[in-house]
Amino acid sequence: MAITHAGVPRLPSLPVPDVSGLRRILGHRRNVLGLSILLPCITLAVVAPWLPIQAPLDTNPTASFLSPSLDHPLGTDSIGRDVLSRILAGARTSLFVGFVASFSAIAVGMLLGTFAGFMGRSVDGLIMMVVDIFLAFPGLLLTIAMVAVFGAGLWQVILAITISDIPRTIRLQRSLVLSLKSRPYIDAARMAHAPTSWVLIRHVIPNTIAPMLVVGSLYVANAILTEASLSFLGLGIVPPEPSWGNIIREGQPYLQNAWWISTIPGLAIVVVSLGLHFISDGIRESLDPSMRS
Amino acid sequence: MTGYVAGKGLQLIPTVLGVMTLVFLMLRLIPGDPATYIAGEATTQAQIEIIRERLGLNASFGAQYVNYVADAVQLDFGRSLVTNRPVIDMIEDALPATLLIGFLSLLLTFAISVPLGTVCALLASQGKGTFDQVLIFVTMALDQLPGFWLALVLMLAFTLHLGWFPATGVMEWGDPISLLKRIAVPLIVLSIGGIASISRVTRTSVLEVLNEDYIRSARAMGTPDRSVLFKHALRNALLPIVTIAGLGFGRLLSGAIIIESIFSIPGMGTVLIRAIQGRDYPVVQALVLIYALMFVMMNLITDLIYTKVDPRVKL
Repeated sequence: MAITHAGVPRLPSLPVPDVSGLRRILGHRRNVLGLSILLPCITLAVVAPWLPIQAPLDTNPTASFLSPSLDHPLGTDSIGRDVLSRILAGARTSLFVGFVASFSAIAVGMLLGTFAGFMGRSVDGLIMMVVDIFLAFPGLLLTIAMVAVFGAGLWQVILAITISDIPRTIRLQRSLVLSLKSRPYIDAARMAHAPTSWVLIRHVIPNTIAPMLVVGSLYVANAILTEASLSFLGLGIVPPEPSWGNIIREGQPYLQNAWWISTIPGLAIVVVSLGLHFISDGIRESLDPSMRS
Repeated sequence: MTGYVAGKGLQLIPTVLGVMTLVFLMLRLIPGDPATYIAGEATTQAQIEIIRERLGLNASFGAQYVNYVADAVQLDFGRSLVTNRPVIDMIEDALPATLLIGFLSLLLTFAISVPLGTVCALLASQGKGTFDQVLIFVTMALDQLPGFWLALVLMLAFTLHLGWFPATGVMEWGDPISLLKRIAVPLIVLSIGGIASISRVTRTSVLEVLNEDYIRSARAMGTPDRSVLFKHALRNALLPIVTIAGLGFGRLLSGAIIIESIFSIPGMGTVLIRAIQGRDYPVVQALVLIYALMFVMMNLITDLIYTKVDPRVKL
């Protein structure tokens, strides 16, 4: 305990509020690494339409199967479309699906999980019973089954991935809320007749945001991978709209002659996935120990 | 012991029923008429009616549910809309390949990752950490690779360029060597994720255990190092390994679906994907149910192993 100028001992500080949290997150080494991988990818994907390269849907059958060159940095595919351009367009689709699906899953999951954890008793019992049934399915299987029901397409895939991620989020949020429920400041707030909604919004939910961010970045990586798998099986994004998964699928018959069509999108997935994992680890490390001090 | 297992089994019945209910509801969740969706475009009204009859959609909701559960319990999953074969026959044909690959993958994963992780932990504890660090990085990188992509890359390398392993063809059950050659590459792809995560957990867990007091006491008593390792360290390190392995079963099951499909292994995964693409709904419904039940069964086995490994755990 530090001794202040007036000679009065200072009490150990409470967990620091979120405002400086953002600064702390951004300063951490792992996060910088992860962001330096992720942000260029996102930027490239966003500015792709304005780059001086062939449009992703433009075909040119006379120039098919060209290996990587200056004109076409990643070569062309079976009907002469520029692979680099398609991969950038695919980045837009895959990243969009990844972020939207995870964000939705976390939003709904946090809501229901907080509800279940805080209300307890029958509400909790009912929600957890449904969650347990969903969790009895291995993840990808549930997503595949959903896509079998909804059909292929952008929003169908997003919906399928969202629904598959919600049960796990509910369970996580519920356990976080349960551990927070017994904290003294919650009790104090309730003793002061604070309405439940105020307690939830002001105390409970802000303290669950940090773990959710850690898990959230992993969800995005997982969602991107799932979308790629679905598109690869022909159950995801419908061609000619490119996504990393269906570019790999289109390149599969030509694996021996034009290996670049299938291999490079996979590398893109790995890179983005690594970036997101670094961010997740970084957030976890930067927020946890500081809160304990 | 059998009583305990039976007790755990009974606890599963609500879960199994819940799973069956969810699978049942999935088809009926489609906005609009399921039969029309399955029939697709360019079908006549008469054909749609036939599909409705086949799927039993003309009965009331409650009656449909009761029929469905009653049939499922008797393993009657209807007939395929594409081939008209009973679905249970299709499952019987496809199950051996899936079980073989799944089982061998588990074996391979544990055979490689537990010794690897233990060696890493030993090296790290003795201060010779470089090999260990390299391995951690490599496994982390391998873990990120999308399974289906790795499958393609390995297929490109081993099958197309080097020609060591066949990529297509039937499973020759009579000839073990050719069988192994046929499933070698998919086996590797399937096991890599598991090897990456389990070797890392083994390493962490063994490292933690090696720092415990009872290990120091055992060494001080003069117990030979091999005994210390096998009798004390590994036994106590097993619990987190079993946990992570249990969590990895889901990935194994799901990954197998895609990888079987890529390598044209005639297992349940290939049948499922083909059925979804062909809108063969009775097959899809049955296979999703079977997969889910397999997963539930695997979780039960993991829980039972838990109680064996750690006597303090009582479920």
